[in-house]
Amino acid sequence: MAAAPRAGFGARLRMLEPVTLLWLVLVAGLIFLVAAPLLKMLLISFEEQDTGDFTLMNYATAYGRQRYLDALRNSLLLGLLTAAISTIIAVPMAWAVSRTDMPGKGFTWAMVLAAFVMPPYLGAIGWILLAGPNSGWINQVWRAVTGAQDPLMNVYTFGGLAFVIALHSFPLVFIFVKSALDLISSEMEDAANIMGAGTWTTMRKVTLPLVWPSILGGFILIFLETIALFGTPAIIGIPARINVVTTQLWQFFEDPVRVEVAAAYSIPLLLITVALIGVQKLMLSRKGFVSQTGKGGERRQIKLGPWRWVLFAWCFGVALLAVLKPLLVLLQASFAKAWGRGFSLDNLTLRNYRMLLFEHDMALQSVWNTIWFSAASAGLALILALLVAYIVVRRLIRFADGLAFLAMAPFVIPGIVMAIGFYAAYAGPPLMLYGSALLIILAFTARFLPIAYANAQASIRAVHPEMEEAARILGSGRLQTIRRITAPLLKTSLLGGWLIVFIVASRELSAAIFLVGPRTRTMSVLLYDLSEQGNFELVSAFGGILLVITMVFVGIGMKLVGRDFMLRRD
Amino acid sequence: MMMIDRRGMLALGAWAAATSKAFAQGPMPEHERVLYEAARREGEITWYSGQYSAEASEAAGRAFNERYPGVRCNVVRSTSQVAFQRLSQDLRAGVAQCDVLSSTNGGHYVQLKRQNRLMQFRPKNADGLLPALRVADPDNFYQSSFLGIYLLAHNTRLVSEADAPKSWKDILDSKWKDKLAVGHPGFSGAIGLWAMEMRRLYGWDYFKQLERNKPQIGRSSIDPVTTMNAGERGVGVAVPSASTLFSMSRGNPLKLIYPEEGVLAALSPSAIIRNAPHPNAAKLFMEFQTGVGLSTAIRLLFNESIRPDVAPPEGSRPLDQVKMLAPSIEDAEKGVPEVRDAWRETFGV
Repeated sequence: MAAAPRAGFGARLRMLEPVTLLWLVLVAGLIFLVAAPLLKMLLISFEEQDTGDFTLMNYATAYGRQRYLDALRNSLLLGLLTAAISTIIAVPMAWAVSRTDMPGKGFTWAMVLAAFVMPPYLGAIGWILLAGPNSGWINQVWRAVTGAQDPLMNVYTFGGLAFVIALHSFPLVFIFVKSALDLISSEMEDAANIMGAGTWTTMRKVTLPLVWPSILGGFILIFLETIALFGTPAIIGIPARINVVTTQLWQFFEDPVRVEVAAAYSIPLLLITVALIGVQKLMLSRKGFVSQTGKGGERRQIKLGPWRWVLFAWCFGVALLAVLKPLLVLLQASFAKAWGRGFSLDNLTLRNYRMLLFEHDMALQSVWNTIWFSAASAGLALILALLVAYIVVRRLIRFADGLAFLAMAPFVIPGIVMAIGFYAAYAGPPLMLYGSALLIILAFTARFLPIAYANAQASIRAVHPEMEEAARILGSGRLQTIRRITAPLLKTSLLGGWLIVFIVASRELSAAIFLVGPRTRTMSVLLYDLSEQGNFELVSAFGGILLVITMVFVGIGMKLVGRDFMLRRD
Repeated sequence: MMMIDRRGMLALGAWAAATSKAFAQGPMPEHERVLYEAARREGEITWYSGQYSAEASEAAGRAFNERYPGVRCNVVRSTSQVAFQRLSQDLRAGVAQCDVLSSTNGGHYVQLKRQNRLMQFRPKNADGLLPALRVADPDNFYQSSFLGIYLLAHNTRLVSEADAPKSWKDILDSKWKDKLAVGHPGFSGAIGLWAMEMRRLYGWDYFKQLERNKPQIGRSSIDPVTTMNAGERGVGVAVPSASTLFSMSRGNPLKLIYPEEGVLAALSPSAIIRNAPHPNAAKLFMEFQTGVGLSTAIRLLFNESIRPDVAPPEGSRPLDQVKMLAPSIEDAEKGVPEVRDAWRETFGV
């Protein structure tokens, strides 16, 4: 008697496609990684610290002081200014590389990539060495040449802070705008030319408006990245007396740790993000931007004549400011006894590298941590993303779009907010993950899931289902098909996706800063600790090690996936 | 007073190197041997360190590892306020990671003791400390491990000795506008103590006037030393003597100024956290800190020795000739958070 229902259940279990089971696992995984930390954060923002009773006091505390409101305003202004500077830097570059006969495109391309992989806090330190009002190289040269008293540039100002951040975020606008420009056929420009518009008018009135959605998308993304940035505001903002949301959030973690207030203070960041995405949708919905049609248009390079050298000068100038100069001074400092003494033989030393490689207790450990945390989270994020993308693209079940939404949601969650969510949800009981490698890996996985997802989705779209169908007809199960047919076809593009996540994870600071324990510090956190003391020689040497590691992985990516793997956007 | 010339100094240096070697190889007293045996089973000790500079903390960690092979010291160096913030995050999450906390802000220990977070332990080696440091806490929840001297310093190329400020009050003069550099009490515990002392001497108005001179604010108290080396600012305010002397030994043109009101002396303890994951290793580390080992290691990086049987560092003024302002750790518990908050209101960060 008892056997009958069990057989029935077993039969039903056999009927269940493994993919349904997988779907359940994925939902659970995404809820754990994305929804639960956010929900927990929202909940505790209404909780009293010790009792857990409902209260609005956290909000009153978080917004009850002028200083806290000022920080909020500073962040918004900083985000706007940075996004504006980035757009001004990047749009001409993207247009030049995509549409014109400007020389040195390969060089420009490499420099954009370099600006992208350089961690922003390293750029910040480079710029302190370059544009400190009295000691910075640029100002020293300026004074020597002109005899002026006042500095040419001062990094410790609001504009200086925005400029330094923009120098490392403009590649995002560049990538967005260039891929959009690549799709526009010359016919549209020809039409304008025939009607009598010159090159500049055409660009202003035809070409750029067509890529307006990409410019806006890049602008918003940089705005969001900037208001969530922690390292650069801490390193430059404190001497410049500029308090922003992230440095204020850090203060709420001072003793007594007020996670509740921090949570309440984070909510506007989330709301702003959601609102911006809404605004973007609204602004784009009213117009058509179709530039890709069934008819394959011709794409010709615009001949600029002497102007092409002006554009190249612009690109070279950006490369100089964003990459070459900061790298040069960081390199000098890393081999210097005292960086202020300049380039001389008696100032050269290997001491900084020796200290880090052989005498420092945590330096090598943190290098190893960085590599394996980043590798593990890139792997985890990609596996999750691949499975979700497969289900979504092949429409295997209903509600698949819900999965896609969860996978993309972290895109709009600032890293530091996500870290607070993870701290609130998983640091303490019942999971007690605080200080463990797992907590950081999970946080990184969640943070970079959207990158992995966008990558996986594009890759799967590129594989026609007919090959899978052939395998299914020959009797292969769904999962076996994925393993034997789909995955091998996707190998290269997935490796590209893995590397991108690996590289952005290896420099992540804001999501790690509240989650690391004594033995799980990453290079970015240790760099931040070392920078407290202002010992730029040691910090530069450590930054040099981080860059070498990154370059090795970028090199592997270029070799295996193709030169533009970091900057491709499908 | 004994005058030390160059030869004497070299001899002293050689003597210190010899003691350090002797210390690493010398026989272990019984009380340490017993602890060492137990600590070896735990294998490691995690030290949240905010008292000594990154270099000196690493040197202390290495000296410990050499003396007690098989027990590894995890050095987690940051500014003191950040070290305490990390500890608070641990406690809030209920996860025990820290064995020994060393903070310049003694107020932390008063608070932790009241909250019943500390382990009671009296290292035997504490009996050999300088008399003033021998009993930090009558109940033995924390023990002295640090004597830091914080004073003024100037870059001799930018500011001549005749022009240099002579007192804490001097730096308020408007001629120092855009020429000063200082740490931040939200990060550095020592700057917290210093701000408390200045408030006691001159009221909070001191900082309102200081703000008008737009000092460059770093995080650690050591940050202004680099700022002076670079030539970014001419005068460092409340910088540690050790890091300044260390920087001078590397050829940077700095000079110490002993302010007329007295230097800030931070007499700061260390403590074992009650739920320390490696209690025996933590006790052994407390013996190490109060013993010859720590003082020998850190004096080579120009920190003050805390024992009479280890010579003071080269180049610093003997402590019995220095006027000191030494705030009590009881005052620090309430005072440092107060000045930290007031600082943020006055300076904006």
